[in-house]
Amino acid sequence: MAADNLPAQPADGNGADRAPSATRLPMLSVLGSRRARQLLIAAIVVGYAWFAGGSAPFTNRALISVLIPGAVLGAIAYGRPPQRVPAPESIDVTGFSYWIVAVALLFEWEASSFRDGSPRWHPSLTELINPILTPHSIKSAAFVVWLLAGWGLVKR
Amino acid sequence: MSSRAITVVGFAVVIAVLVGLELLGRRRTNRIPTVGEWLGYVMRPRTGRALILLGWLWLGWHYFAR
Repeated sequence: MAADNLPAQPADGNGADRAPSATRLPMLSVLGSRRARQLLIAAIVVGYAWFAGGSAPFTNRALISVLIPGAVLGAIAYGRPPQRVPAPESIDVTGFSYWIVAVALLFEWEASSFRDGSPRWHPSLTELINPILTPHSIKSAAFVVWLLAGWGLVKR
Repeated sequence: MSSRAITVVGFAVVIAVLVGLELLGRRRTNRIPTVGEWLGYVMRPRTGRALILLGWLWLGWHYFAR
């Protein structure tokens, strides 16, 4: 009968009301603490990016603000790696070759302008991006993207 | 079209191709892997992981420390 598949109910009848709330409350508390932790991490990342985005180029502060996340993520990647997205056992060589060609084209285009000394008539990608990154807010946002990309790599 | 404009268009085209490859990879109707898939594959050995992470660090140093 269908009733045979139902979970056993407490004999007093009141337990049916108590049981769901008793299991729901700890779950809400876990979800709440996870949410709070995520918000805290987001605030730290954004705050750090704002700090790093405000540093002038070619200064120790700028260098250290890049090296610290590098050291932290490197330590996490090799010391205490998080649960990673399973990597594929193999990838299609033909499909991958399209990526190789596109990335090689980007490097070739960049290298040719770098070789010429990045003149105005043939600027490097860096020369084109640097003016965009000049405002503090844009540079900080780009720093957040860079940090998230690093975390994404550690998770892979 | 000036040489500068040709250079900028060249970068834009290559970046558009990279974005296009990612979109094609996500459609699952072809053999093109997504960037996450091929990066994951390259990072399977420790050396590959180290090189990719160093590349990421270099990118940060290049754009934010210089």
